Amino acid sequence: MNDQAKQESNSPIIDVRRIEKIFPGPVVALRDFFITVERGEVLVIIGPSGSGKSTFLRCLNGLEEIDAGTIRIDGISLDENEANRLAIRRKIGMVFQSFNLFPHLTVLGNVDLAQRLVQKKSRRQAAEFSRRLLEQVGLADMEDRYPHQLSGGQQQRVAIARALAMMPKIMLFDEATSALDPEMIGEVLDVMRQLARDGMTMVVVTHEMGFAREVSDRILFMDKGRLVEEGESQTFFRNPRHARTREFLQQIL
Amino acid sequence: MKWSPRVENRLVDVAKFVVVLTACAYLLLRGSAGIGYNWQWQTIPSYLLTVDGGHLRPGPLLRGLLVTLEITFFSLLLSALIGLGVALLRLSGSFVGRLLARVYLETIRNTPLLVQIFFLYFVMAPILDIGRFATGVLALSLFEGAYASEIIRAGIVAVPIGQWEAAHALGLRSFDTYRAVIIPQAMRRILPPLTSQAVSLLKDSALVSTIAVYELTMEGRTIIAETFLTFEVWFTVAAIYLVVALFLSFVADQAGKYLRIS
Ligand SMILES: Nc1ncnc2c1ncn2[C@@H]1O[C@H](COP(=O)(O)OP(=O)(O)OP(=O)(O)O)[C@@H](O)[C@H]1O
Ligand SMILES: [Mg+2]
Repeated sequence: MNDQAKQESNSPIIDVRRIEKIFPGPVVALRDFFITVERGEVLVIIGPSGSGKSTFLRCLNGLEEIDAGTIRIDGISLDENEANRLAIRRKIGMVFQSFNLFPHLTVLGNVDLAQRLVQKKSRRQAAEFSRRLLEQVGLADMEDRYPHQLSGGQQQRVAIARALAMMPKIMLFDEATSALDPEMIGEVLDVMRQLARDGMTMVVVTHEMGFAREVSDRILFMDKGRLVEEGESQTFFRNPRHARTREFLQQIL
Repeated sequence: MKWSPRVENRLVDVAKFVVVLTACAYLLLRGSAGIGYNWQWQTIPSYLLTVDGGHLRPGPLLRGLLVTLEITFFSLLLSALIGLGVALLRLSGSFVGRLLARVYLETIRNTPLLVQIFFLYFVMAPILDIGRFATGVLALSLFEGAYASEIIRAGIVAVPIGQWEAAHALGLRSFDTYRAVIIPQAMRRILPPLTSQAVSLLKDSALVSTIAVYELTMEGRTIIAETFLTFEVWFTVAAIYLVVALFLSFVADQAGKYLRIS
């Protein structure tokens, strides 16, 4: 490994510095926000509604443009350069609260699509890999169904498989279980838990505090677009430093 | 015998309809008798079909209908393409693109179709060196394309934003996002109204008779000029348009139902 490559692999995979996001209104969704995430780390983000959690995730893969600051993903800087933006999106998989599966494609078609169009794999190659992923999320026998023929939990697992199909280095989860019936939350969390164990770098917005405590390496609490505090999961819940954090934790625990 | 109230209502409706229709026919007959019109329905069938040496041959009206259908078909295809292009321009990030689309739409919607046809025929056709048929198709396509673009744009805008985000998050380029994710979903909203456009095209195609394209209306005018069978021919021509338009509407309805189910 040459020096530069070594440096790359030691540097944080996500490096966010002083970013700002202001929506017309103006609504300040993110202010002076910074965070770094190491390779293989699982970071959980918590905070009240409207605090900017989703906006932050969406800035990471360029679904929202930032108004100030810098974002570097795996050494590539997210800027106006379209090639950089596409390269970064291919390194990052995203799972949405509302699944956003493609309703006109089968389960297999959903997982295949980007492999065919972005990675230019052949139909056979793509299908082969898709089947392995569907097995991994426990949906081996569902490949010919359409999204509306699946339960919410199954749909979300397809969405995870679809994101994994691009072999991302980072996975973003935006309240992946919030739209699910309680009895289906477990099956999706299981898949996420397994991903974390396999060493995937993950940034997870969730209200599932049990999951956060168990799986995450670090917790970040944000409020009104700012980072209030972050720390190792073990100590975070036991000794929150800020009054605002304690207040929030009391409300939800 | 006793009818149920629903059937009874129906019967009354039918009776009223027949009365109105008879009254219209009576007025027409009296009116035409008043001006001394001499009805000659017996010659009309030969303008539809002629027997020539033991072979059945389409008469001028059927040949005209064929040309009308050709014009409608090609214009429908071309107007869908124009519509798609203009819709994408309007949704694009390019200011020049949006402006161009705007200018096109406003020009088409705020000038009479007849003037557009003449403009293309007398100004553009000599410059571009295209024939009457092509000019007619082009004029109709440009005209209907403006309306098609609205239909297509509405269909695209109705696709939930989450579909764009999912496609972008996977790293798809804009072109692939449109082609593989957005357009297929927009289709079910676009196709039924676009099929109805076929009916408008069919009717508007009568206007290209003004530049001597020998479609149904033009054939009708020619026959009348030769035979003075004014009433019979216009009745027949109108009936042919009516039948074809009803058929196209039916197809559009069925397509709409099919798309809604699947
Ligand atoms: N597209 C937008 N246009 C205008 N304002 C927006 C937009 N998206 C988000 N906002 C605003 O930005 C702020 C942060 O929103 P965001 O969705 O990131 O919050 P959140 O922490 O994810 O909340 P929740 O827990 O409810 O999902 C809110 O005030 C929101 O109203
Ligand atoms: Mg959110």
